[in-house]
Amino acid sequence: MEQWTKKHILGIKDLSRDEIETVFNLAASFKEISQREVKKVPALRGKTVLNLFFENSTRTRTSFELAAKRLSGDVVNFSVSTSSLAKEESIIDTIKNLETYHPDIMIIRIESSTSLHTLTKYTQASIVNAGDGRNEHPTQALLDMFTVKEVRGNVENLNVLIVGDIMHSRVARSNIFGFQRFGGKVTVCGPSTLIPYEFQNLGVKISYDFDKAIEDADVVIMLRIQKERQTSCFFPTMREYLDRFALTPERLRRAKKDVIIMHPGPINWDIEISSSLKEQVHPLILKQAENGLAVRMAVLYLVGTQKRELVEVE
Amino acid sequence: MKILIKNATIVNADNIFEADILTANTRIVKVAKDITPPEPVDEVIDAKGKHVFPGFIDLHTHLRTPGREDEEDFLTGSQAAAAGGFTKIFCMPNTLPSIDNEGLAKWIFEESQKIGIVDIYPVGAITKNREGKELTEFGALRRVGCLSVSDDGVSLPDSLILRRALEYAKMIDILVVEHCEDLRLANKGAMRESFISSKYGVSAIPDIAESLIVARNIEMAKYLNTRIHLAHISTAKSVEFVKRAKNEGVKVTAETCPHYFMLTVDDIEENSFDARFKVNPPLGEKKDVEKIREALRDGVIDCIATDHAPHSHAEKELPFEDAPFGLIGLEFAFSLTYTHLVKAGILDLKEIANKLSANPAKIVGLSHCGVIQEGFIADIVIADLNRQWIIQEDKIRSKSKNTPFIGYQLYGVVEKTIHKGKIVFNEL
Repeated sequence: MEQWTKKHILGIKDLSRDEIETVFNLAASFKEISQREVKKVPALRGKTVLNLFFENSTRTRTSFELAAKRLSGDVVNFSVSTSSLAKEESIIDTIKNLETYHPDIMIIRIESSTSLHTLTKYTQASIVNAGDGRNEHPTQALLDMFTVKEVRGNVENLNVLIVGDIMHSRVARSNIFGFQRFGGKVTVCGPSTLIPYEFQNLGVKISYDFDKAIEDADVVIMLRIQKERQTSCFFPTMREYLDRFALTPERLRRAKKDVIIMHPGPINWDIEISSSLKEQVHPLILKQAENGLAVRMAVLYLVGTQKRELVEVE
Repeated sequence: MKILIKNATIVNADNIFEADILTANTRIVKVAKDITPPEPVDEVIDAKGKHVFPGFIDLHTHLRTPGREDEEDFLTGSQAAAAGGFTKIFCMPNTLPSIDNEGLAKWIFEESQKIGIVDIYPVGAITKNREGKELTEFGALRRVGCLSVSDDGVSLPDSLILRRALEYAKMIDILVVEHCEDLRLANKGAMRESFISSKYGVSAIPDIAESLIVARNIEMAKYLNTRIHLAHISTAKSVEFVKRAKNEGVKVTAETCPHYFMLTVDDIEENSFDARFKVNPPLGEKKDVEKIREALRDGVIDCIATDHAPHSHAEKELPFEDAPFGLIGLEFAFSLTYTHLVKAGILDLKEIANKLSANPAKIVGLSHCGVIQEGFIADIVIADLNRQWIIQEDKIRSKSKNTPFIGYQLYGVVEKTIHKGKIVFNEL
């Protein structure tokens, strides 16, 4: 393996194809550890990992926590919503306070986009983005691509279709940058109100016709749709949304035989995906979750074991 | 007090010429070659090789007083203004409480007189508590000296209130200054809707949030045949509306700010979403910057204001989406304009005196200001255009340091500022 040089994992935007492949290779070997009787290696022994969730999450938080533990890191969870945080102290002060414990890695989920760019100034630790606003969710894209690679044997030059609320989705952004690194052609599909016009300049195709777009897809990523998008007038009713953008057995029949259906979870059955497809699609979606653990172990290993020079922080 | 300025190269909006200037008390009493004063003067300034401008007038500044004196107060704001060559500044009413009554306005005039560095003109609110519902007492505000009213920070959300404000202001002869932003459309965005906002998922404001309200305001002023002044114009589309309106004879005037002819959304990305680049209206695209420069050149935009908006360090170190809008500008506006518009060949040197002095005076109705001329107020800036300086945080006089221009090397150093015949800033 080439020497890993990235201190932080802020987004897929910043990762090269080689770096992503390094994560995949490591994740494949870490996956095996989780199947052992003793599920632990000493890679991060003596390292302090802070799992900071300023926005609700159970799955991603648990996955990161377990990943750190299986690498023998000392992990501390810190979950508080930024709204209640605001009353007590600023996010910067929180980071500065935690910095006094000399953590090695801070895994952070936060509500506002690009926050982590700012927070890197206040800590020596490596920051791993666990989702920042609408910007990126890099480990989700890494685990999605890793899963595709595992199932198909390759992740190169695929037609990838991302369906749903593109505008508010960090998962969409990270997957676009990720699959594009491997020559993928990404199409985003959803209501016209939920796809920023500027996305065409990201090199993606915009479609409002799921029936047609699904035909060429090798991979379909269904995004979670939030009910409050209806009340803020992005679409008139959930019924009309589902009519166009739900994955139904009829739509799935139009797809290629070997199409891979993914969902970052948690799924609203009978909203994004018909529950009649549960048996067909759920096993792979659960595999995503399993791979998430391995990918997060890989990411923590890479940023946690690199040689680091101390830099001055504010 | 009498000051004699020798060998000055005087830059007025319509001519540049060599002469001496003699002031007595608050006025310029003589502008001529080789003045020999009949009686001794208190101070002789040799301005050989320097350029001398009429004192700059900022129609749009925020002094955070009352309410946020931790960010700026009248003294530090006055010092920053004088250091930037400004002698008259208009402070916006988005204070706590807002300047929506004659008592508060009068107090500000009195404080400004006490400090005596520059003249601070309070801008009255258009509506009580800037809530967009009931008009303030324009007559009472005008009587204590206010020349303009604005609900700056927000647009008037109600077109009927806008109509009433413009009609009523016409009778009182007070200038209505509108912040142009469709608040619903802006939807609490943090930056301009653009490729970069889409790429990083940053909540965003489309450019038409400004131009829609620009168009509304122009239509209203045209319909009512009243004047209106449009604050901090930042988009190419707004410029088109203003240009057309001026051609049709609508009594509309417009200002822009240095950051709108300097910076774009790309600067936000290049600076890793540093909140010092967060301002409202938000930084636009390259085409906006080009159009704003063109509009300044062609006179579609009448003047340059700073929109000086101090914020505490704690507020501006927050992540981009969480930090407040605004940046400071009093100390840099002149040098940014000179370096990036005049030296860059976009504006003639005289245009500095036009955009920063003569036009703002005309727009707001300040008589005997904005020109170096016998009988006019002795507000004078002496600058060395050949000297360069670098904007450094620890040298900033404003109480807040939030500027995206730290590290910029600029031409044009303000060496002395004279306000009403008194030297109020001396760089050397």
